[in-house]
Amino acid sequence: MDVEARKRSLRYFFAKIVEPLGYKFTPDEELADFLLEQESHLEEAHGSPFCPCQGRTQNHAENMQIVCPCIPFHRDHFDYMKRCWCGLFVHKDVTDADSLSQIPYADFTKARDDARGSGDDR
Amino acid sequence: MLVEVATIGEIAPGGMKYVRAGEREIVVCNCDGHYYAVDRRCGHMNGPLEMGALDGTIVTCPMHHVQFDVTTGQALNHPVPAHIDEPLPSRWAQSMKHFGMLMQHTNVCNIKTFVVSIDRGAIQVETG
Repeated sequence: MDVEARKRSLRYFFAKIVEPLGYKFTPDEELADFLLEQESHLEEAHGSPFCPCQGRTQNHAENMQIVCPCIPFHRDHFDYMKRCWCGLFVHKDVTDADSLSQIPYADFTKARDDARGSGDDR
Repeated sequence: MLVEVATIGEIAPGGMKYVRAGEREIVVCNCDGHYYAVDRRCGHMNGPLEMGALDGTIVTCPMHHVQFDVTTGQALNHPVPAHIDEPLPSRWAQSMKHFGMLMQHTNVCNIKTFVVSIDRGAIQVETG
């Protein structure tokens, strides 16, 4: 299988999915290329282009939630970070992808609860 | 040999048409006004590609979701294994296991492409 050809086709299909969600490919071309290559290898080994930065489990339903692009399954969290977990996709308005970092889910939920004013109730 | 396979307007953009030209089975694809012709049979397990989906210039086989670029015939991925949540009756499970084993030993080949030309509203394919 030609990995370069698969990367191009993944780019084609992914762009169609993430565009309506308000995301685009990271402007960091080197990172995008690297991540797509890992995904094409994961697809070859496991049948689906799983997120290269998240671990799979024995639970099929859970695993399906980290098939790239997994934005719909982690929408609030990713919107908060303005990027997906591995950084392949960023919000459309992002020009400097390096300025964004991963924020652990627990930190995100705490920040969200604080913003809602429920943090003090606990 | 040049064979007329369709007329302009007969295949909607994003659509495909299966035609038999002599011994050959061909699928003509309309990729947003650009026409391409490829072997009808998937390079994995001979699935009929015109029953799959055409998106841009990528056709997806309806059987195991193997994709091909219709401009080059290049295979773009490996088959996607089926996942069945419900436990199968033992005989079915045995068969599925057997087919799975066979599929692991089935390579995905590129598919043949054919030169397409347009002449006075007719779409023609060079079948060789």
